[in-house]
Amino acid sequence: MGIRLYQEPQLENPILVASWPGIGNIGIIAVDTLRGILEAEEFGEIEPWDFFYPKGVLIRKGVLEYLEFPSSKFYFKGTGGKDIIFFIGEEQPTEGGRMYAEGRKAYHMANLVLDVAEKFKCRRVYTSGAAVALTHHTTKPRVWAVPNSENLIPEIRGYGNTVLMSDIEGRGGHGNITGLNGLLLGVAKKRGFEAICLMGEIPVYLQGLPLSYPKASKSVLEVLSYSLKIEVNLDKLDELDQKVERRIEEFYQQIPLEIRGQLDRLKHVTYAQPAEPGPITEEEEKGIMEDVEKFFKKRGGGG
Amino acid sequence: MSQGYPVKIYKEPDLRRSSLVLGWSEDMGNLGRKATGYLNRKLKGEEFAEIEPEDFFSLGGVAIEGNLARFSESKFYACQEHELVIFQSDSPGAEWCKFLNSVLDVAEHHCRVKELYILGTMVSFSAHTTPRELLAVVNSAEMKEVLSQYDLVKDMDYQTPPGERPTLNSFLLWIAKGRNIPGVSLWVPIPFYLAAMEDAQAQKKVLSFLNERLDLKIDFSDLDQEVREQNEQLAQVRSRFPQIDDYINRLESNLMLSEEENGELIKKIEDFLREGG
Repeated sequence: MGIRLYQEPQLENPILVASWPGIGNIGIIAVDTLRGILEAEEFGEIEPWDFFYPKGVLIRKGVLEYLEFPSSKFYFKGTGGKDIIFFIGEEQPTEGGRMYAEGRKAYHMANLVLDVAEKFKCRRVYTSGAAVALTHHTTKPRVWAVPNSENLIPEIRGYGNTVLMSDIEGRGGHGNITGLNGLLLGVAKKRGFEAICLMGEIPVYLQGLPLSYPKASKSVLEVLSYSLKIEVNLDKLDELDQKVERRIEEFYQQIPLEIRGQLDRLKHVTYAQPAEPGPITEEEEKGIMEDVEKFFKKRGGGG
Repeated sequence: MSQGYPVKIYKEPDLRRSSLVLGWSEDMGNLGRKATGYLNRKLKGEEFAEIEPEDFFSLGGVAIEGNLARFSESKFYACQEHELVIFQSDSPGAEWCKFLNSVLDVAEHHCRVKELYILGTMVSFSAHTTPRELLAVVNSAEMKEVLSQYDLVKDMDYQTPPGERPTLNSFLLWIAKGRNIPGVSLWVPIPFYLAAMEDAQAQKKVLSFLNERLDLKIDFSDLDQEVREQNEQLAQVRSRFPQIDDYINRLESNLMLSEEENGELIKKIEDFLREGG
C-alpha cells in the first residue's frame, strides 16, 4: 500500500492543502472548490486497497469489469511564486464502524500524505474541517483556526473573521479536532511541518443532518485564499449555499416553536469582542442544548 | 507467501492443480456453511490451515448459537483425491483486502489453485416452489467461456446503487482477477421467508453445479431427502394456515405482498420450521 505518482511536477515552495469529509463537508467543499477554481491537475493518489472497502462494482453481461474504491488524490497548481499541492480524500479510513479515522490506518494515511509534501519540499500544510458552534444558520460562520506552532499565531490574528481557540468562550484554548483533518495537523508537527487547521462554524442543530454546509465552506475559503494571497471568485459556492439554505429552512420550520424560539436567540450572538460575555448566559446555553437534544432524540436522528 | 499474513498451516496438502470453493458462514439460507460442510463431509475434507482471527474479527466476546459459544473461524480443508480446497469462514469485519489476499496466498502457494468458486446468496421474492436458479459473475472472459456449457444465468448486468456497497464476494473476485486466478461468484436466490432458515433446494442447486463442473461424483440421495422434507414441511404450513397458503399462492402468481404480509409469512414459516413442523 503506497503512493502512486503519475508525474513529478516541478513545484516551487509549494504548500499543501488537504481535506477529508467531515461534519457538513465544510472542509472538503472549501478545498475542492479551490482546486476546481484553480483547475489544479491530478498527479497522484494513495492506493486504496488496504485502507478502504470498495464503494462500487460494475458487472456487465456477467463479467466483473470494475471495482471502484474511495479515492485519495493529489493535485497541483502553479500560482506564480507559491505553488499548491491539493490532497482530497473521498473517505476517511475508518476502522470498527467508527465515523472518523483513528488508529494505525489513519496515522499511516497522514504520513503518506506528508511523504508527498516532503518529496516536493513543502513546509506548510493547511487542513480544514467543521467547528460545531452555538450559532444560527442565518449568520455568517466564523473560522476557528488551530495552528501547530506558536509562531503561526500572529499570522492567524491577522486573518479576518477568524478566531483562535482561546478566543472562544468557555474553551480556555482547548478542544479536539476529530479525524484526519485534525490528525494531519499533529503528524505534521511531529515531522516538522508548520500547519494550520481552518474550521468553519456549523450551528449545533445542523451537525447531525445529512446536508453539506457551504456557507461555512465559503468562510473557510475566504480565509484560506487570504492566507495564500490568491483571489478567487466564490459565486459557485454562493449558488450552492442558496440551494442548501432552502433545505435548512424547511428543516428549521419543522422544529417545534418553543425550541425554535430558543434557537432564534442565536441569531443575536455577536462576537465583536470575543472576550466579552456573550448575549446568552451559560445557563441559557445549557437549556438550548438540552431542548435541541430532546428534539433530535424524538425525531430519531442525530443532533 | 506475503510477509506477515496471519496464516497457520498444519500440514502441507499434496495438491497439484486444484479448485478452491469458498463459502461464508451466516449468509442467507445458511448456504455457505451448509454447502461447504456438505462437500467436506462427502469428500472427506481434511483441515490443513486457518487464518488467525485477531486482525479481522471483533474479539469483544463470543456469539452463542444453539446453546454453544461460537468463535470466528476461517479454515481450509483439502480433498486430495478431487484436487479440491474448501475454505469455510465467517465474513471478516476489518482488513478485508489483507484477509482476502491471505486466502488467495494459501490457495496459490500451498494448493496450486487454478480456479476459484465463491458461494453466495441473494434474496428472492419468488415462492419456494419456483425452481432455484444459479447466477454467475465471472472475472474473466476465459472463465465465461469455460462455464458456457452449464445451466447458469451468465449475462447479469449490475451496478452498485447509491448508498450501497459491493459484496465481499465481488471484492474477492476482483483480487483474484488481479492475481490472474479465474473465478466465478455463484449466487442462488433464496425465497425471502427462508432467508433466516436453511434452504436445501438452494444447497442442491449450487452443489449440483460444483459436482458436474468439478467431476466430484457425489451421491445426493441424502440431500434429495432433505429437499423432500423441506417441501413437505412447507406444504404442511400451507395446509394448516390458509392465510399463508394464500400469500404463497400470490407469490406463485408473481404478485407482490405488502410489507405486513411479508412479515407475517416470514414469522409463520420460521416458527413452524423451528418447531420442527
